[in-house]
Amino acid sequence: MRYDDPKLRELLAGRYILGTMAPLARARFERVMAGDATVAREVGDWAERFAPIDEATAPVAPPGALWRRIEAEIGAPAAGRRQRRGWPLWSSLNFWRGFAGLATAVAAAAIVYLGVFQVAPPIATPNFIAVLNDKNGAPAWIATTGDQPDRVFVEAVGRQTIDAAHSFQLWAIAGGAPRPLGLLSPQPTQHLAVASTSLPPTGGVLAVSLEPAGGSPTGKPTGPVLFQGKVFSNPL
Amino acid sequence: MPEAEFLPVELLQRVAVGDRAAFAALYRTTSAKLFGVAMRITQRRDWAEDALQESFVAVWRRAVDYDPVKGSAMTWLATIVRHRAIDQRRRRASTAEARSEPEEALLALASGASDRADRGAELAALKRCLLELETQPRRAVLLAYAYGYTHEELARDLATPVGTVKSWIRRSLERLKRCLDG
Repeated sequence: MRYDDPKLRELLAGRYILGTMAPLARARFERVMAGDATVAREVGDWAERFAPIDEATAPVAPPGALWRRIEAEIGAPAAGRRQRRGWPLWSSLNFWRGFAGLATAVAAAAIVYLGVFQVAPPIATPNFIAVLNDKNGAPAWIATTGDQPDRVFVEAVGRQTIDAAHSFQLWAIAGGAPRPLGLLSPQPTQHLAVASTSLPPTGGVLAVSLEPAGGSPTGKPTGPVLFQGKVFSNPL
Repeated sequence: MPEAEFLPVELLQRVAVGDRAAFAALYRTTSAKLFGVAMRITQRRDWAEDALQESFVAVWRRAVDYDPVKGSAMTWLATIVRHRAIDQRRRRASTAEARSEPEEALLALASGASDRADRGAELAALKRCLLELETQPRRAVLLAYAYGYTHEELARDLATPVGTVKSWIRRSLERLKRCLDG
């Protein structure tokens, strides 16, 4: 199947959302979608085109027992997966401020970071993707790959504050219009996971703007850019 | 923290890092809407329950795969539920009972009141663009999206060869895209 044929790709994305794909074809298409941001975007566009039909469908309360069945199936919290990784040094704002503005910060931080992980639960291949600084040059968000090389995790350094009427929104900037990557939670222990295929290339920019709660209504940044940083190593 | 402060997208991002409280809040705030969608497709409560259960288990395991380019969080969830409901229907219905919804009932699906005020214009646009299609292709598109009809079921419902149904759908998708994006 030639997914680089835009017409065919578009048709398959539409049929995927319409629901008329045979099960095997759908599974195959989902694997393509997972590794191809263009296909994923076209599927997303189709999903949004038809979404008004679902929104117009009357809600029906599921039986209470259903939630218990779901809970039983996902099981008790497993120690390995559920526990937050402890990053005491990582989360220290003062630690990061000490490196602010230094050209060697990244390399040094990587060494310290690896040092931390020799005693902390290991992450297979930690890689720094970008450090997003505030307008004073202080690091505010760090983007890394964790134990899944196809995911980029963005985490607040220290605690960022934001009111309920606004959201921090992350953007990929590489030449053309900024592309939205997601909303960042201000808590230092929260991650945003982004597919690495959505990342700008090395030399591109990750930026965080202040948007109305839930993100920009227009798909483009509408508020001030509060933090930004260059992508210095795209894992792809 | 009260869950009302969090949108589905924020809850999904927390679920992606294994936050059970966020998962419970996501279920509380979205399950009725999603169960309604599953019921619409399966037309059977027990199948809809199984579809919703499979969907939320999948969401717990795959929340990290959610990417805003795939559409809004709610749309992403609805796509998962629709596919699971379609699977239930295909797996368990020996022969899907033929539906004979009049045209108006099908179109009403695309013209009901939205629970998101900002979506009113999008609903109106979708309905207008659906109305630009010819009757039979429009019925095929709506039966597929709203009720999970397969190509074969559409062919039976519309008394038309499968090949013709497929080409109606292809052309209808092209026309809908042009109409909605234009």
